[in-house]
Amino acid sequence: MQLTIQTFIGGVSLGAVYALVAMGFSLVYRTMGLVNFAHGNVVMVGAYLVSTFYLSTQVPFAVAMVVAIAVTGLIGVIIERALRPLENKDFDLMLIGTIGFGIVLEALAILIWGATGRAVPSPVATQPLDVFGIRIRTYDIMVLGIAAAATLLLMAFLQRTKRGAAMQAVAMDHEAATAVGVHVGRSNAIAFVIGAGLAALAGGLVGPMLYVSPAMGGTLGIKGFAGAILGGFGNIPGAILGGLAIGILDSFSAGHFQGYSDLVTFVVFTAIIMIRPTGIFGETTVNRA
Amino acid sequence: MSPSVRRRVAVVLLTAALSAGCSAPGSNNESSDSGTGPIKIALVDAQSGQLSSLGAWELKGAKLAVDEWNNAGGVNGRPIQLDVFDDQGDPTVGTNIARKIASEGYIAMLGTAESAVTIAMAPILKEAAIPNITSGQSPGLIAVQSPFLFLNGPTSVTYDETLAEYVVTTKGYKKIALITNNGSYGKGEHDAFTAALASRGVTPVADQVVTTEQKDFSAALTTIGQQKPDLIFLGAEEVESGLIVKQARSLGITVPFAGAAPQGTPVFADTAGAANVEGTIVSSPYLGNDVSEAAKTFAAAYLAAYGEEAEMHGAKAYDGAQILLTALKTSNVATGQALADAIRATKHTGLLGDFAFDGTGVGITATSIGVITNGELVAEPS
Repeated sequence: MQLTIQTFIGGVSLGAVYALVAMGFSLVYRTMGLVNFAHGNVVMVGAYLVSTFYLSTQVPFAVAMVVAIAVTGLIGVIIERALRPLENKDFDLMLIGTIGFGIVLEALAILIWGATGRAVPSPVATQPLDVFGIRIRTYDIMVLGIAAAATLLLMAFLQRTKRGAAMQAVAMDHEAATAVGVHVGRSNAIAFVIGAGLAALAGGLVGPMLYVSPAMGGTLGIKGFAGAILGGFGNIPGAILGGLAIGILDSFSAGHFQGYSDLVTFVVFTAIIMIRPTGIFGETTVNRA
Repeated sequence: MSPSVRRRVAVVLLTAALSAGCSAPGSNNESSDSGTGPIKIALVDAQSGQLSSLGAWELKGAKLAVDEWNNAGGVNGRPIQLDVFDDQGDPTVGTNIARKIASEGYIAMLGTAESAVTIAMAPILKEAAIPNITSGQSPGLIAVQSPFLFLNGPTSVTYDETLAEYVVTTKGYKKIALITNNGSYGKGEHDAFTAALASRGVTPVADQVVTTEQKDFSAALTTIGQQKPDLIFLGAEEVESGLIVKQARSLGITVPFAGAAPQGTPVFADTAGAANVEGTIVSSPYLGNDVSEAAKTFAAAYLAAYGEEAEMHGAKAYDGAQILLTALKTSNVATGQALADAIRATKHTGLLGDFAFDGTGVGITATSIGVITNGELVAEPS
């Protein structure tokens, strides 16, 4: 029992990070119908920015996080501006464009920070809580809290503000949205900026849990993407549930199947997708090609 | 996709296929050396990815040796040209590089630091008759049985025999848990240490295997924690080992860890946190920069060249490069089989000890035990 609960808790904390990554994927997809393959690399850049500001300038972790979100948001704007001429013209090239941006970001990270990577010390007291023999890291609680707050803010933005409603309108029918005066390009740019900001948040939070290196985007990107698909691609609550599910699934398969855990995780994932091809909450499909 | 784009993609793919075809295996079976101009040596190591710290250390160590020889006039008056190839720690990339160096006239290869990549490259290098001095230590390297493959350090068997002797016989630990990864290095460590324990009548109380890409070890560590071991053996690379120790401490596991080469590196200590690695037992052929006069000289040159402290991987690569260059000198810049024979015949007193290669390509068969004390790896009196 203790083993089960401990494994669950280990899965939830990484799952929260996968959920943030999945939300970024889903947000861009539901707005533009585009899978942003550079997303994992933006997570990596976010992790580097947070650790750089936090370690070298000694600013508080929260401040480092805000600065990093702003800088990666700018990267989101750049990616969207570069891809905008292709919008509604050639969808394949846009996809390849995002892969290209991912490679560029990784190469830039190696140029700026080197290929070796760095360890980031935890910003909160590392003494874990002991609840009936179950050890809960204080930092993991903080990660869950921040992820939950980010989700609520994003939901409020999409449902309660005019700009959010405009983005929803573009997602449903971009031509009709244009007809009623919604600027589609701006709406896409906002999706990219928020997506990149979420990536920086995920990267910053995962830094002290893992090891920050230029290659870290790969695993996080794939697990986050799987989370988004599992929940229903383009669906925000689905992304959260999917991300958490991937984290927990990963943790349990690691416990039971040891060296074959990756295989088991993705076989289970494939089985679920075969039974429910549109994910748990159903896919929010946008087709612009 | 528009027709013009499709055409362009087709052209790109065709060009790629053609250029790959040009360097297919067998197109250049005999590595040739023109006898004049620079001596071309390839250094293959991860320069990017999670294992790139290994690659960076390797490069620094090997380059230091090559620079020394070049400053002294090269080999037989010919300069040595050391070219770097990035294998990204990926065996597939490694095999492509093996074909590349075979077709571009490199007469010898240094690296890689990852056993899996070296094992993947070995058949191609054997066919092309290119001697390779690797920094890998997996027993799998011996199993390849290539007369062109040499190790610049001991194998896992040596590391783990020494370690098991110390922890079981000297320290009297009997409840030992294992956590290893399923990569080439981790698998080698797992098998070698389990065998070393078995020969001393000890069965591990827990035997957990993780993947090389795993990030959360809660399940494995909780299982280990429930067995209340005296000691936990680590068979994983630097970063993953560091993450395991960090998570183990946060799960309330306080017993010491033990391992081989990766556990003696600064990357391991940084990833885990300095306080968490205190008391870690390390089996290593190179415990620090003050083990000998040669090591002190090497460390000083390393510090002057790169502005950082030397460590074991750099020392191993330095030894490997010295052996290769010495063999080139004694064989009058031979290639292929003659160069491999010259390397096998080379007796070298290096930083790691006295090298004398046997038929399997292993030149050194001893390690020492160190314990991390106050953040430093301190030699344990044997």
